[in-house]
Amino acid sequence: MNVLKMTNIKKSFGDNQVIKDISLSVDKGEVVSIIGPSGGGKSTLLRCATLLEKVDDGIITYMGDDVTYKNEKGHLCYSKNLKKFRQVFSLVFQNFNLFPHFSVLKNVMDAPVSALGRDKKEVKEECIKLLEKMGLSEKANSYPCELSGGQQQRVSIVRALAMNPDILFFDEPTSALDPELTGEVLKVIKQLAEEKMTMVIVTHEMAFARAVSDRVIFIDGGVIVEQGTPEEVFSDTKNERTKQFLQNYNN
Amino acid sequence: MALSVMIEKMSTGFEKTCSIFFLTLLFALPLGVVIALLRMSKSFVISRITQLFVSVLRGTPLMLQLLAVTYGPFYLFGTSVSRNKLIPVVIAFSINYAAYFSEIYRGGIESISVGQYEAATILGYSKMKTFIRIILPQVIRRILPSVTNEIVTLVKDTSIAFTVSYQEMFTIGKQIANSQTSFTPFIVAGVFYYVFNAIVGFVMGRAEKAMSYYKQ
Amino acid sequence: MKKLIALLLATLMVLAFAGCGSDNGNNSGNSAGRTFIMGIDAEYPPFSYMNDAGDYAGFDVEICKAACELLGWKFEVFAVNWDQKLIQLDANECDCVWSGMTILDSMKEAGYVISTPYFDNTQVLLVKSDSGINSSSDLAGKAVAVQLGTSGEALLNGDLAELKDTFGELVTCDSFLKCFTELEGNAVDAVLVDYPVAKSYADSKGDSLKIINEELGAEQYGIAFRKGDNDTCKAIEEAVQKLVESGKYAEIASKDEYKEIVNNLIFLNNK
Repeated sequence: MNVLKMTNIKKSFGDNQVIKDISLSVDKGEVVSIIGPSGGGKSTLLRCATLLEKVDDGIITYMGDDVTYKNEKGHLCYSKNLKKFRQVFSLVFQNFNLFPHFSVLKNVMDAPVSALGRDKKEVKEECIKLLEKMGLSEKANSYPCELSGGQQQRVSIVRALAMNPDILFFDEPTSALDPELTGEVLKVIKQLAEEKMTMVIVTHEMAFARAVSDRVIFIDGGVIVEQGTPEEVFSDTKNERTKQFLQNYNN
Repeated sequence: MALSVMIEKMSTGFEKTCSIFFLTLLFALPLGVVIALLRMSKSFVISRITQLFVSVLRGTPLMLQLLAVTYGPFYLFGTSVSRNKLIPVVIAFSINYAAYFSEIYRGGIESISVGQYEAATILGYSKMKTFIRIILPQVIRRILPSVTNEIVTLVKDTSIAFTVSYQEMFTIGKQIANSQTSFTPFIVAGVFYYVFNAIVGFVMGRAEKAMSYYKQ
Repeated sequence: MKKLIALLLATLMVLAFAGCGSDNGNNSGNSAGRTFIMGIDAEYPPFSYMNDAGDYAGFDVEICKAACELLGWKFEVFAVNWDQKLIQLDANECDCVWSGMTILDSMKEAGYVISTPYFDNTQVLLVKSDSGINSSSDLAGKAVAVQLGTSGEALLNGDLAELKDTFGELVTCDSFLKCFTELEGNAVDAVLVDYPVAKSYADSKGDSLKIINEELGAEQYGIAFRKGDNDTCKAIEEAVQKLVESGKYAEIASKDEYKEIVNNLIFLNNK
């Protein structure tokens, strides 16, 4: 079954049509990387998928349930119960967006407890285990300002995982990091891929995308230009625009 | 009049000064949040009306507002003037200070990055919980120094209650100064206010320190 | 930065000297041409108040103006903050306080030069006609208003202290208008006030207010001058005396707006 299915998505900001017509689906356990030039619509697509932006047109479906649907007049509507869908996915931001006034542990466990109303003790145990797994157990009582960028991003990944999502989105997770810190974050994502976590990753790290993904999607000008296995997209590139983009990157 | 008698008489007024101070804070601090939220309302009409309300309160003297609250109803509708002057005094002070606080809150709330709201939305916090658990604590930390400034001003502004004959400390000081033809009560009043503000400064300093466990 | 500070200091010094200069100008002895600043309570009709045209008017203002004309002095009016009048006098903001001011022993003890009294004043109680209050003994437990810094207030802290202790509450206002508003708005039950003020206000309100026929303290009005300023006091007293002799004083007092006070003017009644 598709965890996420997006059909004929369209989105404009004013006169600027950022997403012209994109359809994509993500299967359970699949790792999908989205690459492409800045302003091509990758991040907007991700923000539409995570319901931070509303699409102008198109159907979004999570786990077979429609988030958007057409009413009898043909207008696009959003489901009244967005809260239910927000439990299906989680998002790791480019700028982490950790809560500066919460300790690492509180950052990770506050949402499951106070937003989902889960049992505090149970959540705490889970979160401590997750932090341990990510090598962050000593930092549990630190505050975000006391951590390096790489550590902060790992905490924000743990925070997303603590929500037990069916699918995890990453919005350029290493773009705000110094080059020497990207490795630790990519390693964590790779580890999740091995555990068959369903993930959609918007990234500029081509080597990483190639190594970790089951499928790579190249988006430019608001449409999917090319997609396929990493081999197909990177080694057997068919489209001229994709070729040019990858060439610029390699230089 | 002996200095001790003077201080004793003025202390009775000091209780009333404290009533104005604490009751005003009690009402104005939360009321300011409400006004700030109305001011930031998505409805253009509500936002504009609130903006006008705030600009009138900030643009006219507190003394005038105090007179309006106390005697306005009498002149307009012929209703009785309140015998317990603490009521109109606290109403006028609370509304006036809430207007000032609301602008401080608004600045603080608008300084929080959009990312904090987005992270909270993704993590499933309701709007209310986002505001109370995520935004407000950070806002409080940021605005504390400005709020301290207002609170220090409030301590001194309590003397304006004299305008409507509320017998707070400064009023009593003036009365003694008159009957004794002496400047001493004003010095005593100055010391009272200074000590009061020193305590306020100490408490707020402690609060700021307690909240500075993280960098912004 | 240093230059800026130097410039700032220089500006301050120029301003300071300029200030000194003008002070000297105002107070250089009692020669003709000096400026005489009269300190008044601008809310004390009919002695001193702001008239409909927005000018300072009143009996005291007219007499002072006439006296200054006689002396060849330039006449100015300064509205004092009544409860701080003597401090403002000390601070040279005015050269006298002349505004239906009750002479208090404490003023003389503090060294202020006080003129010979010119007005006999009586303190009375103003109440609502339907209040059922007919004498000061009916005020037990009631709220009474008085203006801060007036003789009424001084009386309550002195000779009438026992009466004050029977009040439920004593409300001190910073102007007569507020005292009267409190009375009409039912926040207080009586106002202790100078007779002429009570009379003119009660008359303006028809039958709704009444004055209780009980003299609570007879006091006298005078003019206060700075400590040691006997010369100015003497010059003013002599000028006023000349006005009395020339009949100008009586002419001013005979105006309709002063009919409430004319009978209490000492210079006219001792003749």
